[in-house]
Amino acid sequence: MESAILIKNGRVINPTDANGKASSNVASNQSLDIRIRDGKITEMESELKPKDNESVVDAQGCWVMPGFVDMHTHLRDLGQADREDISTGTKAAAAGGYTTVVAMANTDPPTDCAEILDRVIKRIHERAIVEVLPVAAVTKGLKGVELTNMVEMSDMGAIAFSDDGMPISNLDVLRRAFEYARLHGRPIISHPEDKDLSHGGSMNEGCQSTCLGMKGIPSASEAACVAREIEVLRYTGGRLHFAHTSAKASIDLIRQAKAQGLQVTADATPHHLVLSDAEMTPYDTSFKMNPPLRSKKDVEAIEQALVEGVIDAIATDHAPHSKLDKSKPFDHAPFGIIGLETAFSLCFEKLVLSGKMAPNKFLALITTHPAKILGIPAPQISVGARANIAIVDPEMRWNFEIVESFSKSKNSPFTGRSLKGKNLVTIFDGKIVYFDKERAAKRVQEVCASST
Amino acid sequence: MSDASSLAVEKSTKKKMADETDSNLILPDNLPGLNAWKARRHLLDTKDMSVEEVDALIAVAKLCKEIHSKGRPPLTVLSHKVVANLFYENSTRTRSSFELAARKLGASVLNLDIRMSSVAKGETIEDTARTLVSMGVDAVVQRHSSSGSAHKLAELLRHEVHVLNAGDGWNAHPTQALLDLFSMQETGKTIKGRKVAIIGDITHSRVARSNIWLLQKLGADIHVAGPPTLVPVELDSFGVTVHEKLEPAIKDADFVIALRLQLERQDEGLIPSIGEYKRLYRLDHERIKRCKPDVRVLHPGPVNRGIEITDDLVDDSKVSLVNLQVANGIAVRMAVLYLLMYDGQGT
Repeated sequence: MESAILIKNGRVINPTDANGKASSNVASNQSLDIRIRDGKITEMESELKPKDNESVVDAQGCWVMPGFVDMHTHLRDLGQADREDISTGTKAAAAGGYTTVVAMANTDPPTDCAEILDRVIKRIHERAIVEVLPVAAVTKGLKGVELTNMVEMSDMGAIAFSDDGMPISNLDVLRRAFEYARLHGRPIISHPEDKDLSHGGSMNEGCQSTCLGMKGIPSASEAACVAREIEVLRYTGGRLHFAHTSAKASIDLIRQAKAQGLQVTADATPHHLVLSDAEMTPYDTSFKMNPPLRSKKDVEAIEQALVEGVIDAIATDHAPHSKLDKSKPFDHAPFGIIGLETAFSLCFEKLVLSGKMAPNKFLALITTHPAKILGIPAPQISVGARANIAIVDPEMRWNFEIVESFSKSKNSPFTGRSLKGKNLVTIFDGKIVYFDKERAAKRVQEVCASST
Repeated sequence: MSDASSLAVEKSTKKKMADETDSNLILPDNLPGLNAWKARRHLLDTKDMSVEEVDALIAVAKLCKEIHSKGRPPLTVLSHKVVANLFYENSTRTRSSFELAARKLGASVLNLDIRMSSVAKGETIEDTARTLVSMGVDAVVQRHSSSGSAHKLAELLRHEVHVLNAGDGWNAHPTQALLDLFSMQETGKTIKGRKVAIIGDITHSRVARSNIWLLQKLGADIHVAGPPTLVPVELDSFGVTVHEKLEPAIKDADFVIALRLQLERQDEGLIPSIGEYKRLYRLDHERIKRCKPDVRVLHPGPVNRGIEITDDLVDDSKVSLVNLQVANGIAVRMAVLYLLMYDGQGT
């Protein structure tokens, strides 16, 4: 039996759409009750009475928002299920308010052909508790040499194409990828990094790397790659999305390319928005990710670019790694941190509570904007819309404790950090897939508990 | 009976000797840094040392040097202690120096050739740390190619075992910097206001970093010069004056530290050739005329003779402190071991 849910007394916050306009006819900030049936929002009124067999969620004081979209996660699974699998990864996503996550193709083996994509899609069906949209590789084995069967995989459901982690350094291959992408029309997501410039580095190159005696990754390794890929795109046409932009120089290039009318989009991660290399705990591998935490100047540029709309979306780059791997010395440990459970709160505090962005504009960065880049329907709270919902208490202060994380891996620089704004309930396709049992126990009255 | 008496005599002689040697390490009471040393568990870097700690260390090193240079039998102050040498990287000199220093204080020394054994089998620093704790080792002298590895070991061992950093990647080599300081001070010059020039491959040099942090604390004016490809970015933000060319860096310098040039830097494309390096940065008698007349030249060794510094200059004992540095290394390491480990319980 499909579950039925009534959300009471919440404030509906809808994101602006990708053009910055109100995304639905429901005005933001309205207090409305929301009825959900068969995976869809069926009624929105100021006062709805609970019916039999209806779970009731008390959203008093909470914001009721469309579930978030993360356009960049690494859910591992397959040969890397010791780090994360689609079950634990999507549980972490649900806990963070995400109802759609885009899973990168650098799986083991890489998602570079129909057979592997088929395995990934089957895993998703078996294990995912929120929507997982798989990305497939641009080149076979992520080697940057031969194109994959992009059309076949697009038809199977690949949402985008990316060699994330392994930038395509041969520009002729990149050119052919842009050209060939016309056949499927899906975005290509670039991991902008010149591997020669970054070779051997493990943190941002700057006064911190000099002080700590660490080989640095210059911001030019990102910006130089952004520049050359923009030039190839300018020649071929098409569209290109830059993942996890971290450097002011890259952002300036993207701003310029957008102003020139190129179809370029970009995202940034929560960690690059809130941390600079000066805030690293020296030699703590929970602060090691690629691209690395950059300088304060870069952090400011990311914030400004998000406010201006030069960076279109916030994406987590959730990257689980085992404790064993992360316990290696800093220079030998793998890059990456988990981020699904902390993303909303970190960015909410940095952008909204600081007064730099209106809530609905911020919300667009994690809903409508990534949806538009991916070509999926715009998430919104309105009658007839798919019931993917995050219910967040914007006033709640909470501590993120790594032991409570749903992820299999515990590599986060934010453990123990005090955060503001907590996702309490996540509804996916009309079902409650997450609620914070510790902090929201009294808010949720499920049918099984109240009926019979 | 005669046996018994001779034993008694021997015993009293032994006691007398012990008293004598112990007396050599009776420290002056007016050393404000001693309390800080009592609270300190590890020596990882010069960055976190206070000036008082440095002064106390140098004072103790002077006492150690007297004992060491007079060829006295080993002390017994650390006779109940075990010091493990854990060298993941080759180093004959530093390892021997630590070993001698530990033995001169009466400690037992365990040399673990980790590079060959456990790491090859996939053992982590954590495993090694646990093994050392289980073995009951009191101190670990570690050298490792990863920056921060000494901090990591110290974090894992917490209060159980002392960690002495004998070099971690490009980051720190505190005893080298301390012995350089000791050698500079022995010339009779105070460090405050002195110009110290560090020449060569700064980027990859833990010796350079540890010297910069240490000598700056004592008020030295640090200048560096090296190929721009071997000088780390934003070094000037730490108050260091960065030069491309040798000449302005060593002009009027009181001390010049020449760094070892790893010959593989050429293969890595960081310098075009050893010849070009010599042309630009090799120290010789002619070039050091720009320095103060009483300049002293140091080198952490092993010297690539004729590359960083000419043969004649290394061997010119009026200018070169290289041999003194080696001797002082033992004294400084004795002092560090003593200050970290002495608990009043040696026999």
